[in-house]
Amino acid sequence: MSDANLPETPAGPYVYDYKTAPNRQIELPKTVPLPGYRAYVAEQKAQAEAEEAKWQKQLADYETAKAKAEAEGKEAPTAPVKPAPKKNDTDMVFPAPTEAQAPDLLRLMELLGDKVEEAFEQAGEMTCQVGRDHILEALKLCREDASLKYEMLADETATHYPAATDFAFSVVYHLTSLARKKRLRLRILIPEGFEPQSATQIYPGANWLEREIWDMFGIRFQHHPDMTRILCPEGWEGHPLRKEYPVVGWGQRDIDFRDDRSGMLNRIALEKAGQLGINLKQPKAE
Amino acid sequence: MGVIHQPSSFENLLITTRVEKVMNWSRATSVWPMTFGLACCAIEMMASGAARFDFDRFGCGIFRATPRQADLMIVPGTVTYKMAPTIKLLWDQMPEPKWAIAMGSCATCGGPFDSYHTIQGVDKIIPVDVYIPGCPPRPEALFYGFMKLQDKIMTSSLADRYREIFEEVG
Repeated sequence: MSDANLPETPAGPYVYDYKTAPNRQIELPKTVPLPGYRAYVAEQKAQAEAEEAKWQKQLADYETAKAKAEAEGKEAPTAPVKPAPKKNDTDMVFPAPTEAQAPDLLRLMELLGDKVEEAFEQAGEMTCQVGRDHILEALKLCREDASLKYEMLADETATHYPAATDFAFSVVYHLTSLARKKRLRLRILIPEGFEPQSATQIYPGANWLEREIWDMFGIRFQHHPDMTRILCPEGWEGHPLRKEYPVVGWGQRDIDFRDDRSGMLNRIALEKAGQLGINLKQPKAE
Repeated sequence: MGVIHQPSSFENLLITTRVEKVMNWSRATSVWPMTFGLACCAIEMMASGAARFDFDRFGCGIFRATPRQADLMIVPGTVTYKMAPTIKLLWDQMPEPKWAIAMGSCATCGGPFDSYHTIQGVDKIIPVDVYIPGCPPRPEALFYGFMKLQDKIMTSSLADRYREIFEEVG
């Protein structure tokens, strides 16, 4: 919904002016803060290269200044000193990701092979990113493999990355093993419009979690038993946790009290009719 | 020697007053609120009803579990867009005379939630008699607001409900 489609602001003391509201202004993020070992290594490498280039430039500047001073018969400038790497003594630094060494991650990588895109550990937490078409297989393995046994899906959620080019969302599965007292995070990266397989086939508790993801992010799941909104009323426009959604919404705060606004009464009636075997559909005169 | 005033039997038996005042007095001292809560203000309302503060001293401690037996709707908490039709439905089910208290910042003006899902004050869907600020208000604040409501009830007139009709006729 663009600005042109916004509701006209009627006069009155209690009507919110959506077009000039400060909460309507959106600032999209320019970075992709997706944690990962490969990205971390690349970032470190780029940083080191930049520092090296800076040092080389300092050296070259010194050489030219020295040659110039010699030609003019002046005193040579002092040689630059390579700055020692800064020591960070604070213990508040967030731990950096490291390569996968935990037996669970190694086992997953062994079982899934090249379906694992990335696996790393950070702050004692295991993360495994699998191909977006193979998430069901990975979940099934995590639940049923004798050496993994992650029998609980603690949480399932998503994140929106509008600045990323090759994907738009990450869907994250937080698994817990009650027997082994371990936690594992599975992750898939999906583009806009991609419909991942529903985890309800393996973890029935994913039902409402996936409904919430659909409500908040607009990611639909294939083979989900009831892909409807859960938090927002039915008939809501937009998905509020997307980054391009303004905080005050798109004009839904103007209240509309028509009967059965959300269609819930109609739905309940249809369900009850289905249980009783009654056909509620009235034949209409043509 | 003075004359000792002997009260007559009539003075022991009869109190003279106005019907309106009796009606208002009985209404103001037996306001039954509805069992109804939305957010953290409801916790404070429950504390007001419990033994330490004892809401019932003012005659409004009998929380009715149905809107059809309630006189007062305390709206304690954030009114979301999804909850608004339900609140409106409950308010419509309450019989006259009825009053409403908006308890806390959220119910009065939306509070900190200037966002897509929150209605900016419950007064956009139901008429409110008393607003109590606070996040959440202390039980004392709720008592003070309720006593203000009692004052308002005491000033009401039996002709109030007919006044609008007469004014329309002119």
